[in-house]
Amino acid sequence: MRDATKSEPYPSVGQGHPDGRTPNVGPVVDLRYAEELVERTGSSPHSVIPILQGLQDHYGYLPGEALLKVCESTEITPSAVAGVSSFYDMFRHKPVGESIVRVCSGTACHVTGAERVEAALRRHLHIPDGGDTDANGLFTIEKVACLGCCTLAPVVKVNELTFGHVNQEKIPALLREVQESVDGEAPATEDPCDPAGGRPVINVGLGSCCMAKGSDQLFVALQKDVEESKLDVVIKRVGCVGICHRTPMIEVKVPGRESAFYAGIKAAESRSLIHRHFGAKGIFHRAARLWNKAVDGLLLEESADPTELFRVHPKEPTVSAFLDYQIHIATEHFGRADPLDLDEYVADGGFSALARCLGRSLDGASSNRDESPAVPPEEIITIIQRSGLRGRGGAGFATASKWKLAAAQTSAQKFVICNGDEGDPGAFMDRMLLESFPFRIIEGLAIAAIAIGAHDGIFYIRHEYPLAVRRVRAAIKLCQQRGWLGEKLMGADYPLKITIKEGAGAFVCGEETALIASIEGSRGMPRLRPPFPAQNGLWQKPTVINNVETLAMVPWILRHGPVKFATYGTSASKGTKVFALAGNVQRGGLIEIPMGTTIRQIVEDIGGGVAPGRKFKAVQIGGPSGGCLPARLADTPVDFESLRDVGAIMGSGGLVVLDDTACMVDIARYFLQFTQNQSCGKCTFCRVGTRRLLDILEAICAGKGRAADLVELEKLCRQVGAGSLCGLGKTAPNPVLTTLRYFRDEYEAHLQGRCPAGKCPALIRYHIRDNCTGCTICAQRCPVDAIPSTPYQRHVVNMEKCTRCDSCRRVCPSNAVEIV
Amino acid sequence: MSGETFTITIDQRPVDVVAGETVLKAAARIGIKIPTLCYLEKCGPLNSCQVCLVKINGRLVPSCGTVSEPGMSVESESVEVHEARRTALELLFSDHVGDCLAPCNRLCPLRLNIPVMLRETEEGRIQQAISTVFEALPLPGVLGALCHHPCEQGCRRGQWDDPAAIRAIEKHLADEHRQSKTPYIPSRKPASGKSVVIVGAGPAGLSAAWSLLRQGHSVTVADRHSQAGGTLTSVPPRHLPEEVLAGETRQLASLGLQFRFGSELGRDLTLDGLLRGFDAVILAVGGITPAEAQSYGLESSSTGIKAQAETFETSRKAVFACGRAVREMTQVLRAISDGQSAATCVNQFLMGSPIRKTPKPFSSIMGRVGRTELKLFLRSTSTSSSTTPCNPSAGLDRREASLESSRCLHCDCRSSGSCALQTYAQTYGVDASRFRSQRRNFEQQVQPGGVIFEPGKCILCGICVKLTEIAREPLGLAFIGRGFNVRVSAPFNRSIEDGLRQTAEECVKHCPTGALSWK
Repeated sequence: MRDATKSEPYPSVGQGHPDGRTPNVGPVVDLRYAEELVERTGSSPHSVIPILQGLQDHYGYLPGEALLKVCESTEITPSAVAGVSSFYDMFRHKPVGESIVRVCSGTACHVTGAERVEAALRRHLHIPDGGDTDANGLFTIEKVACLGCCTLAPVVKVNELTFGHVNQEKIPALLREVQESVDGEAPATEDPCDPAGGRPVINVGLGSCCMAKGSDQLFVALQKDVEESKLDVVIKRVGCVGICHRTPMIEVKVPGRESAFYAGIKAAESRSLIHRHFGAKGIFHRAARLWNKAVDGLLLEESADPTELFRVHPKEPTVSAFLDYQIHIATEHFGRADPLDLDEYVADGGFSALARCLGRSLDGASSNRDESPAVPPEEIITIIQRSGLRGRGGAGFATASKWKLAAAQTSAQKFVICNGDEGDPGAFMDRMLLESFPFRIIEGLAIAAIAIGAHDGIFYIRHEYPLAVRRVRAAIKLCQQRGWLGEKLMGADYPLKITIKEGAGAFVCGEETALIASIEGSRGMPRLRPPFPAQNGLWQKPTVINNVETLAMVPWILRHGPVKFATYGTSASKGTKVFALAGNVQRGGLIEIPMGTTIRQIVEDIGGGVAPGRKFKAVQIGGPSGGCLPARLADTPVDFESLRDVGAIMGSGGLVVLDDTACMVDIARYFLQFTQNQSCGKCTFCRVGTRRLLDILEAICAGKGRAADLVELEKLCRQVGAGSLCGLGKTAPNPVLTTLRYFRDEYEAHLQGRCPAGKCPALIRYHIRDNCTGCTICAQRCPVDAIPSTPYQRHVVNMEKCTRCDSCRRVCPSNAVEIV
Repeated sequence: MSGETFTITIDQRPVDVVAGETVLKAAARIGIKIPTLCYLEKCGPLNSCQVCLVKINGRLVPSCGTVSEPGMSVESESVEVHEARRTALELLFSDHVGDCLAPCNRLCPLRLNIPVMLRETEEGRIQQAISTVFEALPLPGVLGALCHHPCEQGCRRGQWDDPAAIRAIEKHLADEHRQSKTPYIPSRKPASGKSVVIVGAGPAGLSAAWSLLRQGHSVTVADRHSQAGGTLTSVPPRHLPEEVLAGETRQLASLGLQFRFGSELGRDLTLDGLLRGFDAVILAVGGITPAEAQSYGLESSSTGIKAQAETFETSRKAVFACGRAVREMTQVLRAISDGQSAATCVNQFLMGSPIRKTPKPFSSIMGRVGRTELKLFLRSTSTSSSTTPCNPSAGLDRREASLESSRCLHCDCRSSGSCALQTYAQTYGVDASRFRSQRRNFEQQVQPGGVIFEPGKCILCGICVKLTEIAREPLGLAFIGRGFNVRVSAPFNRSIEDGLRQTAEECVKHCPTGALSWK
């Protein structure tokens, strides 16, 4: 549906189209807001993206009249407006429904049935393929690349509400819930919290994944209940707890007692939880008791306390296995640090590295007389060099080399950019780090700025991560309020201004030169390198662009020394790496492990392997630029070189586990569809080449492949990889090449008309076995009436009508439906 | 930094470059012409087409944007680099909607540029139309009368009502020529000093003679009869009036053709004798038996003289054979085109170059067009049905020929011949159908100011977008959309000409394909 809006991006304004196409005049628009917005945002050409974002936030889409107004009242050209607004995913040129239903099509969601969820949504809302809004104008369906909540796959986000583990059966209830909720707005989680002091604390994980499972509601409920019962208990906001498969996760800490952990607890259980730990007074006390009894009666469990059901013991083998392998550097103090408590961050050693670089001390930094000597920029770079830190964004380029190159440039103005445009489907490390540890990343960015001599820092964060944007914005503000950012960094005579630029939805903007183009207000199209951004970057000035995770490691390295960092990892890949573990794995989540940990340790020990009865088949590592490695290579250590040698790449850290229900040809097709969709369209090899690769893969999945296709597929993969201009195109063939290399038999099976995993709709049939009891459930659930209801008799699927939605197989109580 | 010079090597050849100079420019200096589509000096490197790839340090990079560095070693004319360039072109063609050459032109074995002939006829530029025909083919009068016109079978107008009456128009032009006082003499190369004898004055022999004369060779045609024409002499005059054939003979004689009538191979002439007097011999003796072929001292096949299908060489050096002497053929057109092809090979032989089949001219092919697309073509043509001549026995008169010509859909590309994409396709041996794909619809925007925009032919090089930006066009052009769906268009759905107020001339001129052209 994105594409449909793209091909006709403009309502015709002024004169009609020369071809006599009917002018598409939208509703009458009040242009006062557009004028105000221009007033506020500025009229220079590089304001185009913020202006368009503002217009879209206000009008819900980009009305043609408002766009014309922008062209008239600013230096922004019509060509820039047309080009930019049709390039980024977030911009719409048509009015939308009251609610926007975003269906995540990330890797984890894809392998857990996102396509079926979308089909079911369309059926339920009667939105045909090609359309995107229902007849009543209530819902608009939008497919998004990845919402970064991979452990909850498949995920659907309606307005600000995120729903995890969605399947076709849950859709009616989900849409009802949206319509009932007043405006679908999530509670704010950026307000300052009270410091705990010596009081009891309940830590509530407030990362996006936790919030998707209702932790924000739980947070609000706990606050309300504590207040009502006049208890002296602090409800503390903490960042991601990592154990995403058990969210929402909370920790109850009472001084002098062992902490208690709860997983999967809901807002409704708030009162009984408080009651359990802190007793209660007054009316609430009686109400809670009554409630407890009622619930106990319903639960019929041996435990008298309903909250016990949710309790997690840290010694529990699954939890300890998940946690024991991990070393927390980028995620230091995970699960207990308040993302926006600056004092707590400082108490945990935060900003001490930056202070040392500037020769300041943290107490009364502004009026310090006996300043310790500052660390010269060259020495900062040397320390980073000795640590062996390599960029965590994908390519693994040595961070110190980048800094050294930028430091060597003689330019009055330089920039440091934190690349938070985490676009890989199946990855959410950067989102979590930005949401949970904004101060750490600000500190890392500031250190990088000093090292290269930059006085401007920019956070570039994708707009799909609104919570991350809000938290970083709040954190910057807190630092400014303390006088630590701005004219005098930590009080030293070093100005550093940090701003936030929101992306507008384009995977390719993760590429350095495209990211720069985007900040400059252009279409995110990469350019040829060299010159490298470190020599000639943003506004033609030397610019260092580092990934979020890279910057998150910098303060730790300076605090603990490069040698300590280098003790983790392998000879060429030092330190730790944060991974988003998701897909067909029992315990998904966010993990930070030393480089060199094997895939098997990650999947089986940390992740608990695939579901019982299924077989571990492969891991997809590195997202659309990476590859699929078969289970037999599971002993490959995860480091830059080892992964490259087997055809994958480290990538930004998405690790999606695939079991035997995953079709590898389908996975290759999925990734090519992604890269093809995200290609900027500039160079021939990527724009047309990835499309032709997708054509071949689609033909193979549809059972229309020929033997010669495999030869052409491989040949074209090599040529697209060699001939493309930027990294996106150069690495796009990797998922195809690795599946061809390790799973060629599956391709061959497709050529013979078989999909061994039973996934490709054109190659599978549903069959109901003799053990069908004739219960008619499948017939009732079939959305297209492909199963005639024949009570007490074996049912039969009419394959002419069947859409392969899989509902019948899922609902059959006697497992009589099989895929053949 | 500027002014500093150093040496790099391209294909092992040293080149002195000035610091800051691109590899593309350095290569041009030593005569290595790297193909480019998106490069225009004024715009700077746009790096979109990736056709100018070269290999440096094991990586393929676009030479237009790669700055030379001391000691750089560049690979340009290698198999691998050429293959990459070819693939880039093939990818562009897999998404290229439009034909370089119209189907009529592609189906004509003599490669007559029919659409051009029709446009000249329509506009009353009869001398140019005659020139177009007479430069392309021998025996125009005979073909006007007897050609089985495969062109008309391929004519897209036939999908709507009736094909353009191409043969009738060509006949009209031949008639006009015959009646004119000054015969048209096709261009001839300077005398080569080589001589050829052709045995047989039938359509194949005369056709070969015409071609070789134009190559500057001296040509003699020997025939056992007392007049030229071979089988054509037995065509009833109501199909081929005598004056037509007589006119063709005159025309050939005016080109310098020598006839030697009444001479029969085996009786009056021997191959040994002919080879003593001429540098090459072509046998176009018409249908003969294998035994007769053997009697000339040549190997035979079941249909006559044994000759190589692609090179027309017989078992004897310098002796070639074509037409019905080699294989069955019933159509005059086939015999004439066989004579042409044989003449090309004989010319190569005479010039000492390797003998090979002439490659077909490259053309992008969009295949059958849909009803909606057909209507686009019909917008600027005459909607009347096929023209019936007032005097059927005389054929079309000048007015009728013009009217009938105006029915042509102009489905050939206006940029054919000047299109860089087409030129490189020919040079790099592109297979335009390498990738199976669903083609987009043909689109054509005819603008009141005369600009024609055909988005399907746009390769998104970005030159026009950049030129409008440099010229600070008030509206300009923009890339719309992303990825495979990117299109060049004027903002706000305005017309392309609105975006090209000051730059139309410049943009049309620099469009590397036929996406922008003049009406």
